[in-house]
Amino acid sequence: MADLTVNGLKLRLGDNEILKGVSVKVAPGQVVALLGPSGSGKTTLLRAIAGLEQPFAGSIGIGDNTFYDAARRVDLPAEKRGLGLVFQSYALWPHRTVFDNVAYGLKLRGASASEIKTRVDKTLSQIGLGHLAERFPHQLSGGQQQRVAIARPLVYEPPVILLDEPLSNLDAKLREEARAWLRTLIVTLGLSAIHVTHDQVEAMAIADRVVLLDGGTVAQEGSPTELYNSPANQFAAEFMGSNNKIEGTLIENAGGRAVLDVFGTRITGQSRTAAAPGGKAAGIIRIERLRCTTADGPNRLKMELKAPMYLGERWELVFARENLTVRGYADAPLPPGDHYVEFPPEALWVF
Amino acid sequence: MPTTIYRFIVLGLTILAVAVPLSLVIYQAFLTAPFFDPSAKFSFGAFSFVFADDDFWQAFRTTIIVAAGMAAIAVPLGALLAFVMVRTDIPGKHILEPMILIPIFVSAVVVAFGYVVAIGPVGIFSTLAKDVLGFVPWNLYSMTSLVIIAGLTHVPHVYLYSAAALRGLGTDLEEAARISGANPLRVALHVSLPMIMPAILFAGVLVFFLGFELFGLPLVLGDPQDVLVLSTYLYKLTNKLGVPSYQLMAVVVVVIIAITAPLVFMQRLLLRQAQRYVSVRGKGQKSQPLRLHGWRWIALALVVVWLAFTVAVPLSGIALRSFVVTWGEGVKLLDVLTLDHYRELLDYPNVIRGIVNTLGIGVIGGAAAVICYAAIAVAIHRWNSGWTRVVDYIVMVPRAMPGLVAGLALLWVFLFVPFLAPLKSTMFSIWLAYSIVWLAYGMRLISGTLLQVGPELEEAARVAGASDLRAKRDVTVPLIKYGMLASWLLIFLIFVREYSTGIYLLGPGTEVIGSLLVSLWGTGAVDLVSALSVVNVVMIGAGLAVAIRLGVRLHG
Repeated sequence: MADLTVNGLKLRLGDNEILKGVSVKVAPGQVVALLGPSGSGKTTLLRAIAGLEQPFAGSIGIGDNTFYDAARRVDLPAEKRGLGLVFQSYALWPHRTVFDNVAYGLKLRGASASEIKTRVDKTLSQIGLGHLAERFPHQLSGGQQQRVAIARPLVYEPPVILLDEPLSNLDAKLREEARAWLRTLIVTLGLSAIHVTHDQVEAMAIADRVVLLDGGTVAQEGSPTELYNSPANQFAAEFMGSNNKIEGTLIENAGGRAVLDVFGTRITGQSRTAAAPGGKAAGIIRIERLRCTTADGPNRLKMELKAPMYLGERWELVFARENLTVRGYADAPLPPGDHYVEFPPEALWVF
Repeated sequence: MPTTIYRFIVLGLTILAVAVPLSLVIYQAFLTAPFFDPSAKFSFGAFSFVFADDDFWQAFRTTIIVAAGMAAIAVPLGALLAFVMVRTDIPGKHILEPMILIPIFVSAVVVAFGYVVAIGPVGIFSTLAKDVLGFVPWNLYSMTSLVIIAGLTHVPHVYLYSAAALRGLGTDLEEAARISGANPLRVALHVSLPMIMPAILFAGVLVFFLGFELFGLPLVLGDPQDVLVLSTYLYKLTNKLGVPSYQLMAVVVVVIIAITAPLVFMQRLLLRQAQRYVSVRGKGQKSQPLRLHGWRWIALALVVVWLAFTVAVPLSGIALRSFVVTWGEGVKLLDVLTLDHYRELLDYPNVIRGIVNTLGIGVIGGAAAVICYAAIAVAIHRWNSGWTRVVDYIVMVPRAMPGLVAGLALLWVFLFVPFLAPLKSTMFSIWLAYSIVWLAYGMRLISGTLLQVGPELEEAARVAGASDLRAKRDVTVPLIKYGMLASWLLIFLIFVREYSTGIYLLGPGTEVIGSLLVSLWGTGAVDLVSALSVVNVVMIGAGLAVAIRLGVRLHG
């Protein structure tokens, strides 16, 4: 089996260019998450791969099997691509039982009744719904419906399964369980999948590789740790995790180190910009990397503690100075008043 | 691509069914003689003749007065009725709701006959009034009565659209007004109704437009005074010159369509605007009815009075008349009771055929029409192409042709097209005419059902490996089955009620109750007309009962 390759895909809806040349590769047995804010084109990209949206440039295909190629005027209809798609709304056919919903893909492929029975039963027991085969979708809970939606493509073993925010309709607690269940299922069955989500935690948990989309282009792609720990640009830095942003004047930028002037204090960080000193620059740091101290020192800013908030496992502290507000975590609440907030240089990215 | 082929076949047939009758009428209007007459030449003569006819201008003026008058009556009453029914705790809501829609489903000729036998000069209620008061305090045969009756019977049309719009509004705005000190009437006039103005405006244009379609009421109520509207003028034109004056009729039809077509177009724009307005405001929260306290009985009394006048008076009149030998001053009810009129119905083979045909056109014809509408709707459903626009407009065209006009146009098509000619005197001609006249309505019913099927259900089938047509067959069609059944019931009601479309197509083999009633009324056979009207009302009542029982929404 070969890679699923999307190359330079462009797509327009009305006057809006939704995809502005997107390239993605999915190797067999790999799970790729398409991550991005709403409007970034992630669902559109998924639907274009499935054959439900019409691009105008670029190509999509698995190995020699071209699904779409603008240059060669190839455009296979959705049903000829042999992919699987799990819809955000599940799209279970309300007039068919769970069994018939799952069996439909096999029926279309001309499988015999006995083969259909064996394979559907096997798939349903894999997802733990063997006993609910005769139910109708409306007789199932949200979590069960979601599993049926996943079983539906699973049964005909498509080369790649496309998942369009499959967990977003579940409530928060169930979502975490489903996430673990889905990851286990994917690993156990060795599936290749593209998983669309706007939830970065879900993307990192489920995927081997994350493709971060921004306004119809790929902002960054790589392993979850790469995306989280070494963002390539400010968008990636700010989209992943929870962040503080400090703005100041760039006073030095050399040798991978950048120094910002913030309220007259020198704040040093990792340089992620080619800008010459003198202009404005922004420093991004994850909330959990911020340190709250009581004494002055290098890379520390004097700030006033505004509101300590108890979150259960820790405290969240909000510091402010003039128009700058930063948040940090602490194991215990600090007394109100002035404190020194440290931005560890290795954790601060300057863009 | 089989889907594309299917789409263009359906599209082609639809355009053919709509455009051919229409263009034939327009073509005929510019000829000197009937279109099949070899001596026919191109000319504006027919236009000059009609435009020089004082009766035509009189009919034209009358039509506008009647249409404007009925809009002036129906719009405020319908809007208020909607407010009372949707927003307040008026008692007996569940019983009132289907009752309010009855005037939409009862044939206008039946209603008109009902008024004549109930409150006409020697009507049942008129003679009662005369016994008590010594004189009849009303005159049914006047323009005023025509406008009032037309207005009151069209209140439900305004009600439907206003009620739909009101249901989409949040109630908090009304509650705020109430707390600020406004009584329910003020809340309605100052808050609720202004917010649904686009819907009310739409309903106003709709009623004005229906004024041009009016046929049964002016035919029956206007005739004794020689009050003509355009549709009755057209009808009388048949007999005016002795010879079939096709070109003159065509000219009148063209004039009617020239007025109604822009109105239909305007309705479309207004409806779109109204829907946008509502969807922006709609909050979907659970609405708490406004409590009317003492006012609720006043509101109920007004609704009941209106229902009594528009439903009870004509229907009880016609029912009573069908069971009595004769009626007049000094006649005692018990002396004249009889079932003879119903027995007489059986003496006329054409009446029997009419009853059978009406049932057939309702049940079988209705089903066939729904299948055709569904075929069109499925063809253009989610078709990403400019052609859907074309279908949208094509479907609207028959709406601009009042039934009488469409029937005439279809008659000419059947005379004109050689291979259709043998079908002229079969029920197929009636069915085709009905189906074309109600195309827009039927399409709206089906598309409404189709819209409830989420696009992802069909897409899921496509991704699983089903072709476009297969996905439609396996997913879409089974899901709209119940919607189609409901549409079938509604189309049944409409087809059974229909009277004007079949008038020109009436002949041996194509009798339906509606057109028979009009022609029998012309011969003065009041006994037969009353009995046949009751049969028609019973059929519609049965259909309505089934529809309500099955929980079918009575409006598309």
